[in-house]
Amino acid sequence: MLLSFLVFLPLFFALLVAAVPEKLIRPASLIMGLIHFLLSCVLFYRFDPSKPTLQLVEKAAWVPTFGINYFVGIDGISFWLVILSAFLTPLVVLGSWHAIEKNVRAFHICLFLLLTSMVGTFVAMDAILFYVFFETSLIPMYFMVGVWGGARRLYATMKFFIYTMAGSLFMLVAIIALIFMTQDQLGQMSASILDFYKLQIPFVANSFLNTQTLLFFAFSLAFAIKVPMFPVHTWLPDAHVEAPTPGSVILAAVMLKMGTYGFLRFVMPIFPAATEYWAWLFMLLGVVGIIYGALVAMVQPDIKKLVAYSSVSHMGYVMLGLFALNVYGATGGLYQMLNHGVSTGALFFLVGMIYEKTHSRQIADYGGLARVAPIFAIAFLIVTFSSIAVPLTNGFVGEFLILLGSFQANRLMTVFAVLGVILGAVYMLWAVKRVFFGGDGKLVTEHAHDDLDIGAREMFVLAPLVILIFWMGIFPSDFLNWSKASLDHLIQDRTHYELTIED
Amino acid sequence: MQVEFSLIDFLLVAPALALFVASCIPLLIKVLRGNQEQNDFATLIYAYVGIVVAAGFSLAMSGSQRMAFDGALVFDGLSSFTTVVVLMVTAVALTFARDGSATNSRQFTEAMFLTLNAAVGMLTVVWSNDLIITFVGIELFSLCLYILIAMSLEERLSKEAAFKYFVLGSFASALMLYGISFIYGTVGSTYIPDLIQATPNLLATNRLFLLGFVLLLTGISFKIGVFPFHAWAPDVYQGSPTPLTAFMATGVKAVSLAFLLRLVASQAFTVERFWPFVDVLQWLTVLTILIGNVGAFRQKSLKRMLAYSSIAHSGYIMIGIIAAGIGGAGMLGATGVMFYVFAYAIMTVGAFGVLHMLEVRPDSDLTSEDLRGLAAERPWLALLMTVLLLSLTGIPPTLGFFGKFFIFSAAVKQGLVWLAFWGVIGSVISVYYYLRPVVAMYMETPLLRRETYQMKPLSYFAVALMALLILVVGFASEPFYQVVLTSVAKVF
Repeated sequence: MLLSFLVFLPLFFALLVAAVPEKLIRPASLIMGLIHFLLSCVLFYRFDPSKPTLQLVEKAAWVPTFGINYFVGIDGISFWLVILSAFLTPLVVLGSWHAIEKNVRAFHICLFLLLTSMVGTFVAMDAILFYVFFETSLIPMYFMVGVWGGARRLYATMKFFIYTMAGSLFMLVAIIALIFMTQDQLGQMSASILDFYKLQIPFVANSFLNTQTLLFFAFSLAFAIKVPMFPVHTWLPDAHVEAPTPGSVILAAVMLKMGTYGFLRFVMPIFPAATEYWAWLFMLLGVVGIIYGALVAMVQPDIKKLVAYSSVSHMGYVMLGLFALNVYGATGGLYQMLNHGVSTGALFFLVGMIYEKTHSRQIADYGGLARVAPIFAIAFLIVTFSSIAVPLTNGFVGEFLILLGSFQANRLMTVFAVLGVILGAVYMLWAVKRVFFGGDGKLVTEHAHDDLDIGAREMFVLAPLVILIFWMGIFPSDFLNWSKASLDHLIQDRTHYELTIED
Repeated sequence: MQVEFSLIDFLLVAPALALFVASCIPLLIKVLRGNQEQNDFATLIYAYVGIVVAAGFSLAMSGSQRMAFDGALVFDGLSSFTTVVVLMVTAVALTFARDGSATNSRQFTEAMFLTLNAAVGMLTVVWSNDLIITFVGIELFSLCLYILIAMSLEERLSKEAAFKYFVLGSFASALMLYGISFIYGTVGSTYIPDLIQATPNLLATNRLFLLGFVLLLTGISFKIGVFPFHAWAPDVYQGSPTPLTAFMATGVKAVSLAFLLRLVASQAFTVERFWPFVDVLQWLTVLTILIGNVGAFRQKSLKRMLAYSSIAHSGYIMIGIIAAGIGGAGMLGATGVMFYVFAYAIMTVGAFGVLHMLEVRPDSDLTSEDLRGLAAERPWLALLMTVLLLSLTGIPPTLGFFGKFFIFSAAVKQGLVWLAFWGVIGSVISVYYYLRPVVAMYMETPLLRRETYQMKPLSYFAVALMALLILVVGFASEPFYQVVLTSVAKVF
């Protein structure tokens, strides 16, 4: 029952939020978010990381005619993503205490609906159930960007919705095709991902028009848009920049992971031959994304846009690692997914915090901020180090493992990918220099008498993230051990992957 | 020839009789009162009673395969399912009509009389087992609709719409009748089971029959709004008073599609000689989807937008029709079609209902701009509209998603993946125009000067019921799918 609780408790919370008095919405939401996070921590006791099996399984018939079930379960691949979603929600509530001023109630309802669909996406083991959660997550995010966003929010939210929807509808057709394939090959219609793993899908190398390749690309398109990979990343800068701070945080930290998670859960094990054959393409696009994202980030005058493009670059690393198709690469990819969630989430929080006070995101307006806001500057610098992968921070572990893996797979691409590490340092440190050091900028003089530094509430938001940055950087095995068995199983038995259910 | 009717025949057609009687009573009262309109609510009650009695009879008689009047009418799962859909939209449309600014005039009694008789015509088409009876049914509901459109209080567009619909509709009917005459000439009967039996043979050998069959399909395509016979729809839907548009867009399509499904069960599409035509039909389906969606994309008026979107939905349903007709797992296609028809009826009636509730004058023609800030002023109505629009887009877990899922499943199973592909393209385009009103309601700055709304509680209740059905049936799609499956099983 634990997983169902984790999925549907936020839905119940959303109803509660609709009922509590106006003044209590924020504290109540914070408490509910914490309850949900504590409940998700029960997973640490109930989940056995030594086995690569699917655990805590629940199954109930939903549309038996088409073999569709309510089927949830968790393994090492989804474990941390569920925890991450639950961990960030109370932080988001706390972080948006002053950022969201109108329609507070509706905002928190959206937030909890989003949490339901995020957790649901990660634990769903039935393709249609997955699709339902995957698509449902669009609606609250659509409203979040559209209602509480910036000046160009309408354009951004529409673009976000249409892009994602376009990809996932092709995936829907591919899922239907797989369902009928289970009928032919296994004798019974089933939308269970576990049954999809058993399928033998005909593959022809050197050709595009064969079943496995077409299905592979139908799924890949949906997930590549969500990740987002170059060249379908263009919705991301718009959505990120226009979204309110909490929206950006969730979008970057969790929703992008739905894409990379999809690659791990669906694409690689269901279409092993096509994955092997087309891996070069995804590694290439990953490397292009790394360099392109970094170069574009470098010239952004808007700090939020800079962070957004840095996301493109970071997610390029994740894709590079996953498609290296070895244990190092995949482990690094998964780790980088979490790192990106923590550090980019923190960056968006930080950008939001200073924006609340100065109402400007232009780098040129700042300068000398370190002197008036020292604690803020320290926090920002730590997160920056994590983002550019300085050793002892989490980013280093992830990028190192990814590069290790991709070096085994393709040396030339790794050479170019390493460029991204340097470029990353360039754009982030350059931005830090222009914002925090140098002579006093326009804004710092204007706000000379205001307190620009962060207060206690903001520290409560940042402290867990900063602790995680070091914890994940110094003791990575505390985290990696939880997913090791599942990841090893996924990579080593890729060609005949089977996921068994733990009783 | 001895003609005998038994009591059971009359019991079987009792739904139509009930509707007819219920439609006459208020008219009679009006005559007796010296042409004084009675309370419109009382009129509505008579109509409800008629509809409830009709629904009761039809449900009581459902579940078995029966014929009435020497096989002229057939009562099987398909007819009783479609009957329920028709009765439902009739009830909802009448509720709207009573509240409507363009329909509730001193002639509401007449409007109600015509609406119920249009429903009788629709039921006739659904039950018909003979082409002539089908034709009579089609003419019955068409004539009622022509007059109803023209009765609108709006002075300009409605008259144009009525005339346009009348001329084009008559033309389509004529083509259909012409086709029926060819069929009679070659088969020697207008009895549909005879036709179904003869089709596979005659299509391959007899050109006159082929011509007749194609003409028959053309006539039906006009009613469904399949490209290139769709062009009347936007003008007529826009010009008609909104409650009536809701009725037309759903009732007419539901019964025409049910009839088409019966024809398709003839295995016509599996005849080798007929393949080029099936190819043409596939292209027409693709074009219907594209033209509907691209057309809707370009509209300002929400009614026109929904009109084009209903063309697009016809396109999706045609995918199912083709999947149903080409043999193999045709059952999947047929079930998908009827499921989608039900979903489409609910969503469309609901969406037009919301527009109708916001109209203050007979000539109101709402655009997305007019909805700005609705979420702040009437949050529940905005929420209902959002649910309806999301369902029309096909976002899970609404009913619209499962409709599309079943249709696309049928297409994939039947090897029509490329039709599913075009369906997907169409759905992606549709995201934009269905979400435009949502953007306006929730995200744009509210209108400064707003016309005051009238509260229309009955319509409100009806719309809320539709939205609730979308969520509930969407969630419990399995039991409902089984109901549809058993309904169409007899026909296929």
